[in-house]
Amino acid sequence: MMGRKGLASLTSVAAALLLWFVVTTLTGLVSPGRFPSPAEFWQSLVQIATRGYAGAPLLAHAVQSLKLVLLGFAVAVATGVPLGLWMGWSRRAEAAINPVFLLIRPIPPLAWIPLAILWLGLGDAAKIMVIWFAAFVPSVINAFAGVRAIDRPMIEAARMLGTPRWRLVREVIAPAASPMIFTGLRLSLQASWTTLVAAELVGALLGIGFVLNVAQQDIYPGMILVGMVTVGLLGWATTWLLAMAEQRALAWNMAARD
Amino acid sequence: MGSIRFDKVDKVFGPLTGGVKALDSIDLEIAEKEFVAIVGPSGCGKTTCLRMVAGFEAPSAGVVSVNGKKVTAPGPDRAVVFQQFALFPWKTVRENIDLGLRNKGLAKSERDERIASALRLMNLESHADAFPHQLSGGMQQRVAIARAYVLDPEVLLMDEPFGALDAQTRVVMQEELVRLARVNPRTVLFITHAVEEAVYLADRVAVMTRRPGRIKEILDIRSVREAENWDRHQKIEDVMDLESFVHLRTQIWKSLREEKGPLGV
Amino acid sequence: MRDTPLSFAERIGWGALGLAVLLGTWTLLTASGLVPRPFLPTPLDVLDRMIELMSAPFAGATLPQHLASSFERYAYGVLLAALIGVPLGLLMGWFRWLDDIVTPLFDGLRFIAPIAWVPFAALWFGTGIGGPVLIIFAGAFPPCLINAYRGARFVEPRLIEAARMLGTGNLRIILEILLPAATPSIVAGLRVAAGLGWQSLVGAELIVAAAGVGFMMVQAQANVATPTVMAGMVAIGIVGMVIDVALRQGEAWLRRRRGLEA
Ligand SMILES: Nc1ncnc2c1ncn2[C@@H]1O[C@H](COP(=O)(O)OP(=O)(O)OP(=O)(O)O)[C@@H](O)[C@H]1O
Ligand SMILES: [Mg+2]
Repeated sequence: MMGRKGLASLTSVAAALLLWFVVTTLTGLVSPGRFPSPAEFWQSLVQIATRGYAGAPLLAHAVQSLKLVLLGFAVAVATGVPLGLWMGWSRRAEAAINPVFLLIRPIPPLAWIPLAILWLGLGDAAKIMVIWFAAFVPSVINAFAGVRAIDRPMIEAARMLGTPRWRLVREVIAPAASPMIFTGLRLSLQASWTTLVAAELVGALLGIGFVLNVAQQDIYPGMILVGMVTVGLLGWATTWLLAMAEQRALAWNMAARD
Repeated sequence: MGSIRFDKVDKVFGPLTGGVKALDSIDLEIAEKEFVAIVGPSGCGKTTCLRMVAGFEAPSAGVVSVNGKKVTAPGPDRAVVFQQFALFPWKTVRENIDLGLRNKGLAKSERDERIASALRLMNLESHADAFPHQLSGGMQQRVAIARAYVLDPEVLLMDEPFGALDAQTRVVMQEELVRLARVNPRTVLFITHAVEEAVYLADRVAVMTRRPGRIKEILDIRSVREAENWDRHQKIEDVMDLESFVHLRTQIWKSLREEKGPLGV
Repeated sequence: MRDTPLSFAERIGWGALGLAVLLGTWTLLTASGLVPRPFLPTPLDVLDRMIELMSAPFAGATLPQHLASSFERYAYGVLLAALIGVPLGLLMGWFRWLDDIVTPLFDGLRFIAPIAWVPFAALWFGTGIGGPVLIIFAGAFPPCLINAYRGARFVEPRLIEAARMLGTGNLRIILEILLPAATPSIVAGLRVAAGLGWQSLVGAELIVAAAGVGFMMVQAQANVATPTVMAGMVAIGIVGMVIDVALRQGEAWLRRRRGLEA
């Protein structure tokens, strides 16, 4: 079942874990004030999972972060993909909207955080706004590029068959652009997590970024690592879900590849 | 229903940037239920002619009309079989064929019936639920033909529809098309490189010159076919052996040969 | 694709319309008093503030000074990412065992947003230059590594076979075949890295810095100095754009030099 690659991965990860144990616990090469030992990591994990840390148990923090990411991501995709499709379809829309994009795009999404806090405070709304800004752009750009890359005969075939406008968008344009759209969604999701963590680090009362923030102020390396691992796992899980959705939606395209 | 008319049609591509004259004063009339084939050197503008009838391209000068009405937009009354198939890769064979019928607003039962007969006709029954990528080039081509046929259009526009088929399938499809054309005649504009194919299928064959494409001559095949009664033969090879067939083929060949470029390509 | 391409005049016209709608709405909202100024200043307020900040310090430094310290960290971070990521990627593309070791670890770390390194960065390297540099590095490193790796991994096998046949050693193959063949991919990766690095810089400075444009913006946010926050955004946008344009030029120059159309 497990090939050479799987075995190598396992060995590599096991070696890294062993190295971690050796440098922190066995030899004390790295002081516990700098990086936690496996035991400290475990204790921190147990602490936050059972008694809670930074005002809430781990589950509550994780659910909060996940909720904000999914909300922001959903809003960004629901607005960005249609806009991208429209810009791809209409030269006029592209000509009118592109300059606005060129003006706003160079501002990194994270730079919106202070403004979002000024406008909306430290609550959920500010974070959703910033995530929306961050995740919006990749969705738009890839949907746009996806439409522009559609083979002309494909559209012509649909028109020759008398396909009405709305059906054309739903059954021809959107599916034809969907491989690119999914590329955009992957980038959007990644941007959502980065932005959320940053926004929660800057100011929050709940969430994994807030855990990281408090742990940093408490100089508590074990909890910092717990926070980072949680962020990584959540990011991985959502990416995996998206990949599954992509595989289902693009089954026809997968067939083309193998 | 279904006559086509080209009236002094010019086509210039990219007029703003110098411009390539693709077609020069094309005059051609295709009667209702007539089968006309166009042959000509590569790049002479055959596809462009067909695209103008389909409504994808507007003439730079002159008028293209169908049933006496100027063509302005594509529509299901003029079904196209594209040179590059243009199937929807995310739709199964059945769904590809179904789209045009759904656009017509037909009831499910009638659509199913029509799809089934189209699949049977094109010998695709066992692949109804496959995606285009899972099919060979020849099968994809048959799906493209089925998708056009199933609409039962007044005008059928076919751009080298058998180009991707292997020799055996091609022969079967040609014989099938002839049979269909006799049983249920309709207006067909058919583009091909293969002279035999044109002579075998068409009522008339139009020969085009090199770019800028003009109609060089039009040969009447139908009168010969009827006089010599080609249709008594079932098989294409028997027809191709007939002296009258060979004569016409040679005539077109010679005409085309004069149009080859300086290097003979 | 839908409609025919627009003429130059039409493009300009529609573009101007788009910008006019944006700036017009903004001006109208603020100038009319519909949105209070401390909440959203007018475009002119922001411009005024930017000019002011050229000479008047805020949060301990003028805008150019903040920009200079931002840029220094940024340059270190991206440079470090390129110097480690590109060679490592090339080596991974050549030595299977290295690929087998690094890839699983890298895949594991990939899902941790660069910004999540902030607490450790502060703990290990402080808030001066070291901390932010680590975060910028975390943002810029993956594209450097991945693109060098892909570029080397998918080199035309025949090139390598030919080199092998000529008895070329490992190091020479890497330097004289993989590196040149992977260059377009590496350069594209560097451009992505530069962009992500700039992003991470902003994040880092919002959280763990004592100077820089990001720091200036958080301070301004705390003082509800909206024009200063927006001036910072504009400055960050302009510098980011300049970096991107410069790298695009560099990429085009490289392509021309290699004789691959401009
Ligand atoms: N959209 C276009 N823009 C510019 N030039 C075009 C365009 N479409 C076709 N042409 C040019 O017009 C000429 C005729 O093209 P067309 O596709 O009609 O040729 P064809 O006879 O169908 O060729 P083939 O037998 O190779 O399919 C060619 O020289 C081609 O380069
Ligand atoms: Mg053609």
